[in-house]
Amino acid sequence: MTIIKTWFGEIELHNDEIVHSNVLKADADAIAMRLQEEEFADLDKQYRGRLRQMAIQLGVVTSEEDYISLLRTVAIKRAKEQIAAAFARPDARIMQLIGGIDDIDESINLLSERLLEWDILEFEISRTSDLAETHAPQSTTYPALKHEFAESIERLSEMRKKTAGAIELEMHAIAPNLSSLAGELLGARLIARAGGLESLARMPASKIQVMGASKALFKHLQFGAKPPKHGLIFQHPLIRGSPLNKRGKIARTMAAKLAIAARIDFYSKKAYPELVAQMEKRARELSKPAIREQV
Amino acid sequence: MTVRPHKVAGVFMLDSHLATKGEAIYGEKVFGEYRLWSPQRSKLAALLKKEENVPLRPEQIVLYLGAASGTTVSHLTNIVSLVYAVEFAPRVARDLVRMSEHFKNVVPIIADALQPDYGHIVELADFLYQDIAQPTQAEIALTNAEMFLRTGGYACIMIKARSIDVTAKPKAVYKREVKKLEELLDIMCVHELEPFYKAHAAVIARLA
Ligand SMILES: C[S@@+](CC[C@H](N)C(=O)[O-])C[C@H]1O[C@@H](n2cnc3c(N)ncnc32)[C@H](O)[C@@H]1O
Repeated sequence: MTIIKTWFGEIELHNDEIVHSNVLKADADAIAMRLQEEEFADLDKQYRGRLRQMAIQLGVVTSEEDYISLLRTVAIKRAKEQIAAAFARPDARIMQLIGGIDDIDESINLLSERLLEWDILEFEISRTSDLAETHAPQSTTYPALKHEFAESIERLSEMRKKTAGAIELEMHAIAPNLSSLAGELLGARLIARAGGLESLARMPASKIQVMGASKALFKHLQFGAKPPKHGLIFQHPLIRGSPLNKRGKIARTMAAKLAIAARIDFYSKKAYPELVAQMEKRARELSKPAIREQV
Repeated sequence: MTVRPHKVAGVFMLDSHLATKGEAIYGEKVFGEYRLWSPQRSKLAALLKKEENVPLRPEQIVLYLGAASGTTVSHLTNIVSLVYAVEFAPRVARDLVRMSEHFKNVVPIIADALQPDYGHIVELADFLYQDIAQPTQAEIALTNAEMFLRTGGYACIMIKARSIDVTAKPKAVYKREVKKLEELLDIMCVHELEPFYKAHAAVIARLA
């Protein structure tokens, strides 16, 4: 006797004949819910090939077409739930906000470039007085438009501040140690690049160190160029502010501490202020000898 | 423009352009009832453009691993009877799900193909298609072929040499991957996808 668990219910077979079953008839909602709640084992290949026939025989559906249609409805429901769950995680919110900051920056850059070109054009026209007369704007909205561009840039900058503020709050809640060590924004970028706090927590320090430097890393692997010393974490003031020849070492220490911070944040969220103190001390030590040598 | 059927039923050549029949889904060009299928956007299109003998048939059930947002899946649904489309990244799976709502014969599944937990959903498949671009791709293909491919069924596995070993020559990587696949599958042929994809190859195999 064998009991198999399929997406539409449980079936008991004896000598390959169905002797008992507990199936959900054509009820997509109930089936999707069961898929979410229960554990399923693998199916033996001999039964896998008979799924459609068994579903029809048990009256779950009336035809092969119905079988596909019901399965598809269930699968879409289930997939939507999984997607919603993935995006409802707090780190998903952070990733969304980081994406928002990048979009805003890009928009501000574009609009600013446009405005600059606009100014250059007007300057050129104003230099030649006869041009200024023949090329006077045809519409009265023209000067106002330029003003609106400038205002939009202002508004976007405001939005950027608000977004950054929201990131700070979210980061303090889900990643206090990353926040204090890397700063909220850089910490959030690391989470986003890793694909979530959990992935970051599982990453080796060596990978965190070069994260965001993929182009450089690729060149290193492909052409044997010098390995990149720092990716995203290069933005950190402790690294950026240190002597060039010490940056690699400091970045390595930083990556190691960040890996620890991410793990603490993922598993317990307890604040561990020593991390920052250790990092600052180590950075001072690493930066020093170079200065002495120069003296 | 001349239209001629490709050797794979359901695929057409419009002059030198590959196409399937159906409504436009992702912004591809349409001529009458035909949707153009660019080899730049789909490794399967690149394969079909280079090689007409691909064992795809209208009645087949396909298990597709690494469906991404569904570009290739959307053409495949014009060719075969049913596609089980597996993708694990929620971000791209969102587009896949949206696309599945257009087609009667796509079943989207969000899961990790390395640890298949869709054993209670997917039927026995006639064709396993895989475009995963991961170092573990041979392992993924073997696991899934073992669980889901029927005896006599086919597999088409896209190998991206660089995601397995950046330092080795692509040909050496294909060889190594083929060797791994031979554990379970009979290798029929290996087609490089140049010039459409650098250092990519399609392995076509059969489960005896
Ligand atoms: C090269 S893309 C596929 C493109 C797609 N086949 C097309 O032609 O439209 C590879 C996809 O495989 C997915 N992937 C990678 N590893 C996976 C795994 N273990 N399980 C499921 N999907 C995976 C990635 O998320 C990515 O979307």
